[in-house]
Amino acid sequence: MKFRIFRSAEDQTGAGVGAADPTESVRMGGQVLPEATSPKAASAVEARLEDATPVSGPTVVATPPTGPIKIAARDVSVFYDGKQALYDVSLDIPDKTVTALIGPSGCGKSTFLRTMNRMNDTIAGCKVTGRIAMDDEDINDRSIDPVLLRARVGMVFQRPNPFPKSIYENVAYGPKIHGLVSAKSEMDGVVESALKRAGLWEEVADRLQSSAMGLSGGQQQRLVIARAIAVNPEVILMDEPCSALDPIATARIEELIDELRERFCIVIVTHSMAQAARVSQRTAFFHMGRLVETGDTEDIFQNPRERRTLDYITGRFG
Amino acid sequence: MTDATPDQIDGAAAKGRLDRLRAGLKRRHAKETRFKWYGRLAIAAAMIFLAILMVRIVAQGHTAFYTHTVTVPVYMDPARVDRAYPQGSNFEQMAAEQQLKRWGIQDDAAGAASRQMKALFSSELKFVAADLVAKRSDVIGETVPLAVPLSDEADLYLKGEISRDTPEDQRRLTDQQLAWLDRMQAEGVVGSHFNTALFTNGDSTQPEMAGVLGAVVGSALMLMVTALIAIPLGVGAAVWLEEFAPKNKLTDIIEVNINNLAAVPSIVYGLLGLALFINWMHLPRASPIVGGLVLALMALPTLVIATRSALKAVPPSIREAALAMGASKTQTVFSHVLPLAMPGVMTGAIISMAHALGETAPLLLIGMVSFVPGVPHAIDQPVGALPSLIYIWENASERAFHERTAAAIIVLLVFMIIMNTAAIILRRRFERRW
Repeated sequence: MKFRIFRSAEDQTGAGVGAADPTESVRMGGQVLPEATSPKAASAVEARLEDATPVSGPTVVATPPTGPIKIAARDVSVFYDGKQALYDVSLDIPDKTVTALIGPSGCGKSTFLRTMNRMNDTIAGCKVTGRIAMDDEDINDRSIDPVLLRARVGMVFQRPNPFPKSIYENVAYGPKIHGLVSAKSEMDGVVESALKRAGLWEEVADRLQSSAMGLSGGQQQRLVIARAIAVNPEVILMDEPCSALDPIATARIEELIDELRERFCIVIVTHSMAQAARVSQRTAFFHMGRLVETGDTEDIFQNPRERRTLDYITGRFG
Repeated sequence: MTDATPDQIDGAAAKGRLDRLRAGLKRRHAKETRFKWYGRLAIAAAMIFLAILMVRIVAQGHTAFYTHTVTVPVYMDPARVDRAYPQGSNFEQMAAEQQLKRWGIQDDAAGAASRQMKALFSSELKFVAADLVAKRSDVIGETVPLAVPLSDEADLYLKGEISRDTPEDQRRLTDQQLAWLDRMQAEGVVGSHFNTALFTNGDSTQPEMAGVLGAVVGSALMLMVTALIAIPLGVGAAVWLEEFAPKNKLTDIIEVNINNLAAVPSIVYGLLGLALFINWMHLPRASPIVGGLVLALMALPTLVIATRSALKAVPPSIREAALAMGASKTQTVFSHVLPLAMPGVMTGAIISMAHALGETAPLLLIGMVSFVPGVPHAIDQPVGALPSLIYIWENASERAFHERTAAAIIVLLVFMIIMNTAAIILRRRFERRW
């Protein structure tokens, strides 16, 4: 997975794209490559795209993943107070893989992420349509309790948000509320293994009872990851987990994500193309509320088949 | 010129631009300095008003904290002491007559001199003597020294509040009485000491025996009722409105109403209390239960608003963190949001309690301005409250009540300071709890 991307700068965070001219999507959309064109001609990508035959209406370029599918989203749309933020997204997320969601600000990638653990339920006036199936089970079904769902799908946020309690209490919180652990000694073991898996044990072993707020930003983010994995979820959602961290802390988190991939299905939203390229095996590119292109990360970055994907990953916009 | 790019600006233009910047800068600094001074002036004015208030109250009230006692030898004349009912004996007359006799002063037939002498002693003399006789009947026939308070007017004279320069017909004490007080003082039988009666007695018609304890206990009982009702209800309502309530027309109306209720004059709450608790529910008039209920109604809106703003100040990231961990809404609120909002909630609660403590207008309407002697000990008895006691004393005709009014104000202020200090201490403690 380690390969160099064209741009190493991490600050390709898009600004103001969400406010772009709405006709832009029409102008830019629809430039889908004919199926016949061979994707092997990497050197001629630019030229090929220029000659691409426009087709009417936006169509998703998708190469299906190999391996078992953990989450299958079909025609997912999200509305905030009647305003549509996400348009008919259909995406397969494979298990034991890191899937990166990339795209400019306001493109709907975080919104899509939050549909997978129903965090959008907590926002007043938010409506989700379509079907999201986890292990062939519709998570929006009435019979599914969001509390149980969130025990199976953990989440890490943009800014580290540990509880203002001790390090120990932070990690023990999930197992405690879900009643997974009863004995104190067992809890000690769970906390220790979660902290070890999050690569934080060495640094905090001697001060488990001190405040989590005394940790550095990077340590806090690893603590939050430890908190999420302490309940042994099946999926971990990460919403720009490194955007508030310095490069060294970012590197540690990225290593951690790579290790966690063996046990969990991970979905990460990132603004950093380099990060997407470094940590993910699958990439989905979102633009203006629509899924534009999805496929293996290497293909997306070296061989994008959509004009907008190419423009975004080469820094033309976003 | 204005849209010239930096490299197009030549030397002169650059200098002109710099001058303009400098001139503007001077103006900006002047504005800043001026604003600082406005602030300082405002603070200074507030401090001066506070100082005037404090100095005024302390100057008027400090004399109430000490009082004068006279020690008189009283011969317990067996012919005049009623053994069966000591309170029935006229000890004051006995003491006054004996004092005149000791000084060799002849009383006239009407007893004018002994009446004047009697007026120098507090009527408490009777109870002190009667108590003694009731406890030890062997004192009858003996001469015992009795330490009794001077009457309020005599006390004021010794405190220098009554001047001999005032014409005799404009003061309560005659020249004769003043001369006797001077003589007593010369004989060294008058002593001054801390006015314990002020803190151990309830209200009394005799200023020298009147105290604030009854009102303090009344206020404390009332506040207890207020706290027990207003804090759980107010915090509960705020939590529901802020965290659980759907945002719709109904909750909007509730919110607007709560904000308006906070601005309703307190006397209106008094009227409501009168109509609701006394006339309709027939709860006992002037009792701490009714007072507490009325003050709770009054404190509720403020408490709800303070609690809601404390809840709003909790960062949403904490809610998200808890929800994403799979905590239910209730778990999120009660184990994360509310504990974090606790310092603000506590401060709001204590400030609204302190406000309730000082409230007078609603108490007037539920009958808490009546004279209540003694110290209450139940929530369904008529009681006094500190602010209404201040109101009653201020309207009393005896001059000695005026210094006691100021003293009662000092007691009330000390109460407030204690409550606010408690608020600060609790706040600190809760903030570094874990």
